[in-house]
Amino acid sequence: MEGWLTRIATNTCLNMLRSAKRRPELAVADLTEDETAWLGQQTSSVGYQPRSVEDTLIAADLADRVLEVLPVEDQLALLMIDGEDASVKEVAEATGWSESKVKVRAFRARKKLREAMEKLLTKGRKSQVGGPVTHES
Amino acid sequence: MKVEHIIEILDSTSLKNLSAEQLEIVQIHIRDCMSCESAYQAAKVSSRLIKERAQTTVEPSPFFQTRVMAAWHERQAMESTPVLSRLWKSAGALVSSMAVTTAALAALTFVIPAPISTSADETATTYSAESVLLGQTYDDQMSYDQVLSTIYVDGDEGK
Repeated sequence: MEGWLTRIATNTCLNMLRSAKRRPELAVADLTEDETAWLGQQTSSVGYQPRSVEDTLIAADLADRVLEVLPVEDQLALLMIDGEDASVKEVAEATGWSESKVKVRAFRARKKLREAMEKLLTKGRKSQVGGPVTHES
Repeated sequence: MKVEHIIEILDSTSLKNLSAEQLEIVQIHIRDCMSCESAYQAAKVSSRLIKERAQTTVEPSPFFQTRVMAAWHERQAMESTPVLSRLWKSAGALVSSMAVTTAALAALTFVIPAPISTSADETATTYSAESVLLGQTYDDQMSYDQVLSTIYVDGDEGK
């Protein structure tokens, strides 16, 4: 019964997310001041120390926007495994996918997200140094 | 010496799930490899973002519950319907149309009698060379001489 309801809720979520428009890429110019500051804090030598609820909300908003570059299935796999510490088997049961499919989706999502973040951080550093901010959409 | 980059390790699992051995390999490698160091930093930030995202509670849209309940009712209705009934719902139209076509073909084959053909009818419909050339029917029997004279008279008139 619980598994059944979880599957229905998961599929409903996926269908709703699919109807939302995907962004091709997130550029530094699209970030708010708070988000740019949050990213700057991550790469500083001091390191990350969560300070307030506000910081968490900024990070969550930024995560939403960065995750938009991924297909919804990849987002789901990544958020469940890396975010909520669900096992591959649990994700497979909730979605109805095979375990190997879950692993592949999570791997692909991690790779894409890391690459997107790498671009964002590199361009962010350049703009902080004084270079021009590229406006990509 | 072939340099083995650590990007594959970074993408294979979440950073917090890396074993001590893997973490050591990563730490040693990024000291000398700038591209992998940059990839490691990006993976670290991504991991934090995902963690922060998972910690925040999302209020579902008002339509979410409606949609879930609709899907739930639909599934329950499907489960309660017998298999044969479901099969009939999906393929009933096709089966009905096939049955009607078969019945129509059977009626045409067995019920309606086919027209009886006789040898007399067959001869009546055949055409001889004479009938075609002279415009006369097979029944008007002409002798060989009559045929020849008709042809030659027509030929002379032509001259």
